[in-house]
Amino acid sequence: MEEKKQCKGCGGALPFLIGFVAMLVVGWVVFPKVIYSQKTQPVRFSHKIHQEQGMECANCHAFRDDGSYAGLPKNEKCQECHADVVGSDPAEKVYVEQYAQKNKEVPWLVYQYQPDNVFFSHKAHESFECKECHLEVGKMDTPPVYYENRLSGYSKQTMKMWQCERCHAENGVSNACHVCHK
Amino acid sequence: MAHGATKEFKVTWGMVIDLDKCTGCGACMTACQVENNIAPMVDASNKMRTLSWMLVFELSNKKSGAEAEVAYLPRPCMQCGNPACVPVCPVVATEKNEEGGIVSQIYPRCIGCRYCMAACPYHARYFNWEDPIFPKGMEKALSPSTSARPRGVVEKCNFCHTRFMEAKDKARQEGGNPEGLADGAYMPACAEICPTGAISFGDVKNKEHKVFDLAQGKDAFRLLEKLGLNPQVYYVSKREWVRKLGDNYAATGKPGAAKKHS
Amino acid sequence: MGLDRRGFVKIVVGGVAGTLFTPVIWKSLDDVSIWSQNWPWIPRLNKGEVKSKAALSKLCPAGCAVKVKTVGGLPFAVVGNTANPLSKGGVCPVCAAGAQLMYSPARVKSPMKKVGEGKFEAIKWEDAEALLVEKLTALKGQNGKIAAINGDETGSAGEVLSGLLAGLGNSGCYMMPGEKFVAEKGVKLMGGSGQPGFDIAGSDLVLMIGADALDSWGTTVANQKAFAATRPTGGVATAKFVYAGPVLNHTAAVSDKFLPVPPTATAAFALGLANLLINAGAVCSAPDFAEYKALAAKYTAEEVEKATGLKAESMKELAALIKAAKAPLVIAGASFGQGAGALDFVAGASLNVLLGRVGGGMTLLPAAPKAVAGAGASDKDAGSFLADVSTGKAAPGVLLVYEANPAYALPQAGDMAKALGNIAFKVSFSTYMDETASLCDLILPAPHPFERYDDNLNPYGVAKPTYLAGKPVVQKPVADCKDPVDVLLGAAAKLGLSLGFDTYADVIKAKAKALGADFDALVAGGIWTGEAKGGSLNLGASALAKVAMPKADDKTLALAPMSNQAYGSATLATPPANLLAVRDTELSGKDLFVQMNAATAKKVGVAEGARVKLSAGKGELKARVHLNEGVAPGTVAVLLGFGRSAWDEFTKGKGDNVYKILTVSDEAGTGLKVWAGSTVTVAKV
Repeated sequence: MEEKKQCKGCGGALPFLIGFVAMLVVGWVVFPKVIYSQKTQPVRFSHKIHQEQGMECANCHAFRDDGSYAGLPKNEKCQECHADVVGSDPAEKVYVEQYAQKNKEVPWLVYQYQPDNVFFSHKAHESFECKECHLEVGKMDTPPVYYENRLSGYSKQTMKMWQCERCHAENGVSNACHVCHK
Repeated sequence: MAHGATKEFKVTWGMVIDLDKCTGCGACMTACQVENNIAPMVDASNKMRTLSWMLVFELSNKKSGAEAEVAYLPRPCMQCGNPACVPVCPVVATEKNEEGGIVSQIYPRCIGCRYCMAACPYHARYFNWEDPIFPKGMEKALSPSTSARPRGVVEKCNFCHTRFMEAKDKARQEGGNPEGLADGAYMPACAEICPTGAISFGDVKNKEHKVFDLAQGKDAFRLLEKLGLNPQVYYVSKREWVRKLGDNYAATGKPGAAKKHS
Repeated sequence: MGLDRRGFVKIVVGGVAGTLFTPVIWKSLDDVSIWSQNWPWIPRLNKGEVKSKAALSKLCPAGCAVKVKTVGGLPFAVVGNTANPLSKGGVCPVCAAGAQLMYSPARVKSPMKKVGEGKFEAIKWEDAEALLVEKLTALKGQNGKIAAINGDETGSAGEVLSGLLAGLGNSGCYMMPGEKFVAEKGVKLMGGSGQPGFDIAGSDLVLMIGADALDSWGTTVANQKAFAATRPTGGVATAKFVYAGPVLNHTAAVSDKFLPVPPTATAAFALGLANLLINAGAVCSAPDFAEYKALAAKYTAEEVEKATGLKAESMKELAALIKAAKAPLVIAGASFGQGAGALDFVAGASLNVLLGRVGGGMTLLPAAPKAVAGAGASDKDAGSFLADVSTGKAAPGVLLVYEANPAYALPQAGDMAKALGNIAFKVSFSTYMDETASLCDLILPAPHPFERYDDNLNPYGVAKPTYLAGKPVVQKPVADCKDPVDVLLGAAAKLGLSLGFDTYADVIKAKAKALGADFDALVAGGIWTGEAKGGSLNLGASALAKVAMPKADDKTLALAPMSNQAYGSATLATPPANLLAVRDTELSGKDLFVQMNAATAKKVGVAEGARVKLSAGKGELKARVHLNEGVAPGTVAVLLGFGRSAWDEFTKGKGDNVYKILTVSDEAGTGLKVWAGSTVTVAKV
């Protein structure tokens, strides 16, 4: 008789619900945190400070003459101002001493890093605002945390194929393989 | 795209190859390999295993002595107007759906079933039997134009499509029209390198491009035209025996069946 | 509250059901599939700005003026330099593979010292250079004790080499065989001097006798451009091209006419043609015309047909074509760019004299100024030298080998390799571990063309004096190498000699200055051209009197080595990126195919695919037979460039080396060593 009572106490759908809800929480709340490792940029680059100096985005993120996009600037560009320490920010000192003076490129983490088989033309997407695809870093003093997927190795912000395809479809642009792949 | 019909595009990239100028030197094959990151094979004489997006065939008139003649025929992908390889792909990893009419492909989606290879009458498609392993260090000389394909994937010539994209970007940068590239603004590696200029390339529908006239010349022909695949690669030869070999058995079953392209 | 088994199961079932409503499974599957696209062993592409830089690519014998495309500073492709009037945007198949060749597995990675049979040990540059100086010091001033073999006939490096030897009291600087050498001797026999040039672009009929001008003779790419300009696609051809030679090769494939002429009959064919032309009314003012006419009269079309199997009718048709042409040009050479006699050259060139085309179609280039004061003439051949070494007539103690591969690329290559064994200390300046380097005692790795300064003066075939120069495309070489000229100049300084320069770049600058060229414009992809000199030639009749009508021989076949530029050269094994171009009717696995026509095969008693042994002299070559109706009767054609015993896994042990069965003979009257007319016996195995 005792056993039956106990069974009633834990019986019914409760344990099922407990498991169900617990895994919902794990799946929706814990898993998305666990699957990404967090990384910080090698140098705390402040877009804000640079903007305050009156710099435009295109001063560093520019198109080359052949229409290709230079992406993140290289030492050559940074050293135009930072061959030596010019300010008081410790991050600048890190850059100058560990990279510029050692002639070593900064291994920036690229939030939108795409695989080799993707061909992406910034020029073709020039009419869009950068922030429609990129993190809006322009006014940030500290670069956002880089979330790297522990399984795939890509950044959390790397755009997925379905996103590209949806936008292409909505704008009447071909979704043929070679439009985006190489 | 309906099967069995040619899909029309405003721009149709085409090649016209002058077989009377091709010396068979092989520079096009080398440039193609370099552009498209094809790893060298230790036994490249095993032609069942090699990957040759561009392949130079040797044709002979089968005569001897002073009568003997040979011709060299470079064979890229024909970028058929009505490709046989596209409808057979079970995973839509290859399609013809882009302005310019290049038959495109996405390597990571390919499942390696090789139906497309069986379907292609030009043997223009190749299967990766091995992973693309380069001699140590040589991966530093990889071209940025084409991703390295793993084992188990089919691949083919795509008229150096990345160069098409780059030409469009250049046109945009210079304020030109990316949808109406000037003659010569976009050239595949083979056409660019050919030392005798045997390979002409351009938009066969654009009167401003020299291939427009060349493709309609009286000595122009395409391979196996009777199959109705409507290739975008044209050949030119003043030699009748060469032209006859271009359509050597289709439809009538007889060599040299009458030319019938529009 | 306790939890019993049933409760636990319920929780688990609930958990699994809950999971299905979360992204856990789907996201993981997706991520794993993306992960599987990036196996660590699949190479990644390089990123960065794509640039192109002008370079002088001396990977092919003529040298191509090219542009090297780089991504993030790393070379990855070679394209034409449209601004350069010599290459006009063309690239040969070897130079097209240039970027990948920087990373060839056959590259010598650092200085090496031989420590045993086939065993090497990497050493430091300072030790290597000290060793070189020590050996040279020991033999300084003893003529004949120090010798050099140079395989680069167009670079100023040869002057430095020769100047260094002269400074050390030695005169033994020898050239690897090439056509320039033979042609200059031929011009002398015709009463002239200098290097002959050929203006293909300015001619409306080009007859190539033996010379494979559209694949491997002379400045191939420039020749191809000149050919292409005369035949616009879809238009009317403005010039005729005729190839007369042993094989229906790449040149013959696009020529309007092909006449199969065995390699033993080059001169006889040319004289036969002279006879037909004279009969048709050709005259010229050369002093020896009468003598020439009488000589040519012996070579009637019918006689030539008897000796070569070439139909008299074909020759007559050709004579008519030449007669009808306004600006005909005859180019004679060996089908594989070497080993022809001066008489073969003279016979061909005499047709230009007869047709009044000297100065127009065929030109003579003036002697070029030298940059290095002590440099001597480069007119001694390496083949004769090594033959002397093998008999003990020459006994050098030190041999410097620059950009040459005598152990592989001299006739009777087996004997040549043995002769090298008689020299106590051999130094190889080579980019790659070739057959000769692997026999040397010290290997001093040379930079790849994209890593060095180099120049190119008057590559054989150009109609006008022509000079090209190039500078490094990359800042740092891939291997631990040094420019050989810099090494030689450094050694000279330590030996107390001054050649007047510290670096190769300085030598080239001086050369440019001596020519009146702008060094900076040259290394930016430019060119310097001068004017051909005037002067007339005679018909060379007295020399041609020594030509003999070839005799048909039942026991042997004429050997026609075939050069296919894509497959490499004496100093370069087939580049990895060119392996695809080799046909399976040319090489299958490790079997090389030799080619002959069906009638010849029947005579020899072999069929398609049969295994055969070709032998001549002490050499033997094993191969299989491929029937090719484009091979002249009584001739067996063998591709050059195979049968490597060094290099890399892509080329080593593939096929066999035709140089092994080339036999040298003395040319009547000229004292030259020739091997273009070699014969072989073919036996089934």
